[in-house]
Amino acid sequence: MKNSYIGQAWLVLSLSLVFGGLLAGVQAALGPKIEENKRNETYDQIPDLVTLRNLETGEVLVRADAGKTVEIVTDDGKVAYKVFSADDKHIGWIIKGAGSGFAGRIELLIGLTADASRVLGMYVLDQKETPALGDNIKESEFRDRFHDRWTEAPLEVVRTITGTAAANDILAVTGATVSSESVCKIVNKAVDEFKCWLDARTSAHGDPADQTGPEED
Amino acid sequence: MPNDGPTPLERFINGILPENPVYRQLLGMCPTLAVTGNMKAAMTMSAAVAFVLVCANLITSLIRNLLRPHLRILVFTLTIAAFVTIVDRVLAAYAYQMSKELGPYVPLIIVNCIIICRCEVCASKQPPLTALSDAVGQSLGFALALASIATIREVLGAGTWFGLPVLAEGWWPAWGIMVLPPGAFITLGALLGVVNRVSSLRSGKPAAAAN
Amino acid sequence: MTLVSEMVLIAVGAAVINNFVLHYFVGICPFLGVSRKVDMAFGMGCAVTFVVSVAALLSWTFTFYVLRPGAPLSTWIMRAVTRNAEATSDLRVLNYIVYIFVIASSVQLVEMYVRKFFPSLYKSFGVFLPLITTNCAILFACLEIMKHVSIGGGGGAWGAAGGHVWGLPQALTLAIAGGLGFMMAIVIMAGIREELDHCDVPAPLKGPGITLLVAGILALAFMGFSGVDKTLSGLMGGVQ
Repeated sequence: MKNSYIGQAWLVLSLSLVFGGLLAGVQAALGPKIEENKRNETYDQIPDLVTLRNLETGEVLVRADAGKTVEIVTDDGKVAYKVFSADDKHIGWIIKGAGSGFAGRIELLIGLTADASRVLGMYVLDQKETPALGDNIKESEFRDRFHDRWTEAPLEVVRTITGTAAANDILAVTGATVSSESVCKIVNKAVDEFKCWLDARTSAHGDPADQTGPEED
Repeated sequence: MPNDGPTPLERFINGILPENPVYRQLLGMCPTLAVTGNMKAAMTMSAAVAFVLVCANLITSLIRNLLRPHLRILVFTLTIAAFVTIVDRVLAAYAYQMSKELGPYVPLIIVNCIIICRCEVCASKQPPLTALSDAVGQSLGFALALASIATIREVLGAGTWFGLPVLAEGWWPAWGIMVLPPGAFITLGALLGVVNRVSSLRSGKPAAAAN
Repeated sequence: MTLVSEMVLIAVGAAVINNFVLHYFVGICPFLGVSRKVDMAFGMGCAVTFVVSVAALLSWTFTFYVLRPGAPLSTWIMRAVTRNAEATSDLRVLNYIVYIFVIASSVQLVEMYVRKFFPSLYKSFGVFLPLITTNCAILFACLEIMKHVSIGGGGGAWGAAGGHVWGLPQALTLAIAGGLGFMMAIVIMAGIREELDHCDVPAPLKGPGITLLVAGILALAFMGFSGVDKTLSGLMGGVQ
């Protein structure tokens, strides 16, 4: 009886070996491409997220060069991307923010200036909000509202803007206040945490705005 | 072994409408409801299922004389799981956004009843050519079913087809519910009713309740 | 966020808000096939819950210790074999094969257990138990656990809560709550179908047709639970 079970199992075992080898080959061939895709999700957004604009006219002054970005991993596993312009000037940072939205987890990319004094842009990586309502947080209409926002005070969502908006007011997506508020909360928290880390790093290394060159750290 | 079932050509044609996996056999409901929110996802899923079905059927048919009764389901499942992993990796490498959108439904092809059913019913007993034509026919039927549901859901829910705008803004306000779970259930239920009615009219008898 | 409040959130999420059947569309085949009588449906729900917990236990163990990038056991073996102290293993490509074997084994285990200790129950379950192997809900639960265990390079977010690797309690909570949610959906459907038997359903829609339409209305009702977990987590003082 035992013999026949082993006898019957030889097919399963040999198939397992064959498929194991096949899968190992597939992983070796496609693994790097998949990692690259994951990276590019972030890197493709860098030129749009970190652009320095003239605060009055909104005209684009400096764009980031994605190829020169340096990835920095902090002690507790968080990742910050140091962004440089084409002529090797450190112009900003990109960090990932995450938190819960209305219907699931929202993941964002946030572009900041080099001293984290302004939010330069926001990009939604992952969201599960209601289609055609909360979904609109990923549209450029909402994302543009995050251009050049000062980070001294937390950003707040308002439903309508009458007269002139306060500096830290973000207009919500129509019909999706909770999703818009979630995004704001995520941005605020991520920026706060990042500013703490940046301050600690500055006092250790010196003024970050002075550091030039993508070869740093 | 003597082939006393339908010929390969008959199997191929059977798979498309008369024995359509979704509408007639009621198999593979999970991806049918999940990924038919838009045409692109639906077609990617049917391509993935087609690949796995064809490969699994071929391999099963080639080793059909070596299968033992106790372990054959395990062998089918192992084969299917391997090919689904390959499809998943290929999608992640070459169509990353689509792979993220399809999410967990690509690995769920492993437990998709259609594939195991075809392996069990057809491929493990028939020579490779018959198994191949059966697989291709069933895949086409599956793609047809997915396309029908996805078209309705996408056009009514978002006004687009394959991402191209089809209904002008003013004609039809986006019926968001179509893209959400309730819309999936209701569309499939309604279409199932339509298919049953049509087939009962064609055969001239009252619709057999397939439950 | 404490472990208990996290578990409550996971449980409410899996059972009600993101119900396996009505939101994620897994487990539809038994949902359509077995939901004609309430006691059969209840039995199926119990069986599924039992199997999914066993499967979740096994698959979490495998994922945590062997499969994920940098897993302890496989990294140790790899370092011993290649004599390279820096090597890390990443066996994620074998995920699906391992999960399906785990599920098949869990079904076998549960079947043997039920046959030995509850023979009358085994008679009434009969053919359902082996069928659970192809139940998408079990594999889906394993995949959800995998998503939260092999975070690997996907983390690194700032200000994020809940981006940590799930331990066994969270994984089991997801599995059991998901199974109970499935049971709830299938029992509700069975109750409705028992009533529908007395109604005049049009012939083309008899059976799966009307079941799907009713499921759509149920899904609509369950959509009302959206956003409950956000409020809950705020109430429990957890980080959102």
